[in-house]
Amino acid sequence: MIYFDNAATSWPKPAPVCAALTGYFADAGGNPGRSGHRMSIAAARLVEGARETLADFFHAGDPSRIVFTQNATHALNVALYGLLRPGDRVVTTSLEHNSVMRPLRHLESRGVAITVVPCAQDGTFDVQGLRRAIRPDTRLLVTTHASNVVGTLAPVAELGALAREKGVFYLVDAAQTAGAVPIDVQEMRLDLLAFTGHKALLGPTGTGGLYIREGIELTPLMRGGTGSDSAREIQPDFLPDSHESGTLNVAGIAGLAAGVRFVSELGIEALRKHEQALVAQFLAGASDIPGIIVYGPKDAKLQCGVVSFNLAGAVPSEVGLILDQSFEIMARTGLHCAPSAHRTLGTFPEGAVRFSFGWFNTPAEVDMALKALKEISAWAAKGAMVSGGDG
Amino acid sequence: MDGLISFFASHHAIRAETVMKRGGFSSQLIPGPKELSPNCGVALRFDYARRGDVVELLAAKKVRIDGVHFYRPRTDDWHVRQAECNESR
Repeated sequence: MIYFDNAATSWPKPAPVCAALTGYFADAGGNPGRSGHRMSIAAARLVEGARETLADFFHAGDPSRIVFTQNATHALNVALYGLLRPGDRVVTTSLEHNSVMRPLRHLESRGVAITVVPCAQDGTFDVQGLRRAIRPDTRLLVTTHASNVVGTLAPVAELGALAREKGVFYLVDAAQTAGAVPIDVQEMRLDLLAFTGHKALLGPTGTGGLYIREGIELTPLMRGGTGSDSAREIQPDFLPDSHESGTLNVAGIAGLAAGVRFVSELGIEALRKHEQALVAQFLAGASDIPGIIVYGPKDAKLQCGVVSFNLAGAVPSEVGLILDQSFEIMARTGLHCAPSAHRTLGTFPEGAVRFSFGWFNTPAEVDMALKALKEISAWAAKGAMVSGGDG
Repeated sequence: MDGLISFFASHHAIRAETVMKRGGFSSQLIPGPKELSPNCGVALRFDYARRGDVVELLAAKKVRIDGVHFYRPRTDDWHVRQAECNESR
């Protein structure tokens, strides 16, 4: 079995992550911050320990600036709905995931002005275009850190400096990069960082978070019990409580902390090198496959561990089906929740086949996948009988 | 299986598979062919000839579907063609 869908969720998880999940239930299974007894305190220590681990990991400084969310989408919603008001102007790119675009389009219908700066057809970012699009009355720049379709890395440090210079807030969607590419929120001058726990940070699903720079106030998306300030019926105004109503996914956070420790011990440079090498290997081998169209700049240095392609004569869903059923290679086909990205690449509406590599993938697996694609390409080139239509 | 049901969301497809299995209909989940429906990543193959009964069952169990299509994937040819490709090398 070859798992090439790490951009959707990472698999497998390291053993310490699985152990941390069961460890929480066995030893620390209380509700953190609610009760004063030892199990609640044990759970609270887990959560605050995880918060500190993440703050160190992103060089965020004060751990209370990290708010836990259920995933990156949730973090993006907390940021966008928490910050933007009718009349605000936002600048973004044409490679964004729907978890950025859907909130933005909804806010647009409520009076927020959105400017989408097109990326090049190979998925590279137009920094000058973004600079020109930012007006004196622009409030927010939001970009992905890496495209989940074509893998291209945005120059976030350069954009952070640009945003600071222009006096706009900068929100980065790090769904594909947290745990895969170095992120230092202070050095990069990021105001808001949305991350997920279950991709390159190797934690379980149901975890993620938002880093909120000191001095930025966001209206809470949800209100409710926080185990703090309990005498009052209004939402606390201090972090992280203001954005953490209701019981957190404590088991998940225990697992996430173990994942972040695993990644830290390996070293993010080693992880980056590993994924980059697999992308480079794929790109080199793909050039020998007749009929393959690989999207993107075709340079592993410019991409995270994500690569998308199509085979002439086949639609993406067919390739995905054969890869899964005949070769046990798992890949994601279609639009990847990013229709705008596919429009940018020229692959709308059919989409593409995406391979996304992770720490546990090997060069031997990439080799097998290349051989499989060669066979499928030959099959597609011969052209099979098509029978289709609406019933 | 020469029929395909497309859905608005993959959890509808999963539910449909369960309902159809309990109802005695064979089915197979496959990646959704975008040429038939842009809506969802997962679709369900079934016997097109039984579509009347299948649609009725899914409606009775309140399973939302997008469309019902006659569809014989070219990938059914895969093993045959693969053998041909191997032979011609």
